[in-house]
Amino acid sequence: MANINKRYAISGLESTSRRYKEDNKMSVEMKSQDSDNDSEYDQSDDHMEDEDFDYASYYDNDTDDLDIDKPKKSDDPEYFEFKLLQVEDVERLLNEEEATAGGQHTCPVCFRSMPLRDFFSLVCGHLFCRECWDVFFQIQIQQGITTGIECMGNECKILAPEDFICNILSKPELRDKYTQLSFTDHVKCPKCHVCIEKNGGCNHMQCTKCKYNFCWMCLGDWKTHGSEYYECSRYKENPNIVNESAHAQAREALKKYLFYFERYENHSKSLQLEEQTLMKITTRIQEKVMNQTGTWIDWQYLLDAAALLRKCRYTLQYTYPYAYYMEKGARKQLFEYQQAQLEAEVENLSWKVERAEITDRGAPNAVKRFPRSIKQYWVTNSLQMVIDFLVYL
Amino acid sequence: MAGLPRRIIKETQRLMAEPVPGISASPDESNARYFHVLVQGPKDSPYEGGMFKLELFLPEEYPMSAPKVRFMTKIYHPNIDKLGRICLDILKDKWSPALQIRTVLLSIQALLSAPNPDDPLANDVAEKWKVDEKAAIEEARNWTRKYASAQ
Repeated sequence: MANINKRYAISGLESTSRRYKEDNKMSVEMKSQDSDNDSEYDQSDDHMEDEDFDYASYYDNDTDDLDIDKPKKSDDPEYFEFKLLQVEDVERLLNEEEATAGGQHTCPVCFRSMPLRDFFSLVCGHLFCRECWDVFFQIQIQQGITTGIECMGNECKILAPEDFICNILSKPELRDKYTQLSFTDHVKCPKCHVCIEKNGGCNHMQCTKCKYNFCWMCLGDWKTHGSEYYECSRYKENPNIVNESAHAQAREALKKYLFYFERYENHSKSLQLEEQTLMKITTRIQEKVMNQTGTWIDWQYLLDAAALLRKCRYTLQYTYPYAYYMEKGARKQLFEYQQAQLEAEVENLSWKVERAEITDRGAPNAVKRFPRSIKQYWVTNSLQMVIDFLVYL
Repeated sequence: MAGLPRRIIKETQRLMAEPVPGISASPDESNARYFHVLVQGPKDSPYEGGMFKLELFLPEEYPMSAPKVRFMTKIYHPNIDKLGRICLDILKDKWSPALQIRTVLLSIQALLSAPNPDDPLANDVAEKWKVDEKAAIEEARNWTRKYASAQ
């Protein structure tokens, strides 16, 4: 019995709390009754019998008999202000829904009328048809924008979540590109923040959108890497490290390790990408020969360059562990200098090989000259380094 | 080129049927994506009384990318350069596919009423505007008389 009473009490509570919303004045009056009712209810609860109990009057009088345990409205995270609909509102809404559900809705982007079930919106409620969303996402992703894709609505800042985008995207290759760019290997252009993926071995990156040249490793301007002094391969140790705490020293040691490891890892990845470059070169040579731009022999230098590039990358990759274990001193300085030179030359060659559009017939050409200069480096310095390294181990 | 998207047809129809006050836009006879636009200088602006000719082109990706708009008539304005290019956020990164030719042209008209020398495209004009606004406005009036007076 007590259970049933309670249920009634709860439903009574709901109805009264609604009334509170409708009329504040009334609720104040009711509140004044509350205290009386509570005590009355407490007393009657113990020796209450079904027959005696007047449900109707119980409803009218009873309000917040559960109020004691009830936390304040503002404490409830799920509480929200609501407004009761009037009869005419409900009728209007129902009619409206019928009109749109049964009828057609016009997409504000393509201006086509379609049933409402073909429309999607983010939490902001801006409805657009599936096809328009699809094309919109495709264009964004093709431009390299994958994070921070906003709703199509004018001045709407609501971001489209991954599952929404993946559900709507119809082209599987773009969906792959999207997930790849969002979750895996890419950097953002330091200037325009477009996502950029590495599609070749070269560390010299150029943003497809704003044409900014930067370094894949340190994201710095490529100008500081090019000609004179290649700083990116050198780890700058804190000269004061001995005086720091053990904690700071450990952190520094980790930083140093990561610095070398990242570069080692990057070259090993680049080495894999060079394989792709080699394939691209082969197809490009075929194309060029077919189009009568140069003969097959003219283009052979590219293959030589790519092969050399692979060797250099391999060497460079292992210069990093070597440098990591080297003791400070003149020898290390020399080593790092040579490493930096090789690094700069390799990136230069890599950049040129990936973009080579001309053969060397007649005019002097940088691309062809490069392998020779690198070859010298490679033979004289790098090979020696690797041998040194192996001996060291 | 594929057939003209329904959106462009609809927009063109609406532009012709209910033109925006002070703005006329009509598609080129040979290219339905190219519009000849005439914008009246807004009242109470130095461009009042002028009639400015613009060209508007809807690129292949429209409405996913913004229309390209350019002033053909010379105009003295800090956000419009010598070539008639316009510095307006909704034509660049703030473009939304929900915007239309009509809203773009209205925004351009509004830009004429409210020049923004803090985000300039024509640096010399913006500088003048900041240093001596009165003289700059007078210059804009002169240019309007000289280049944009309606015949």
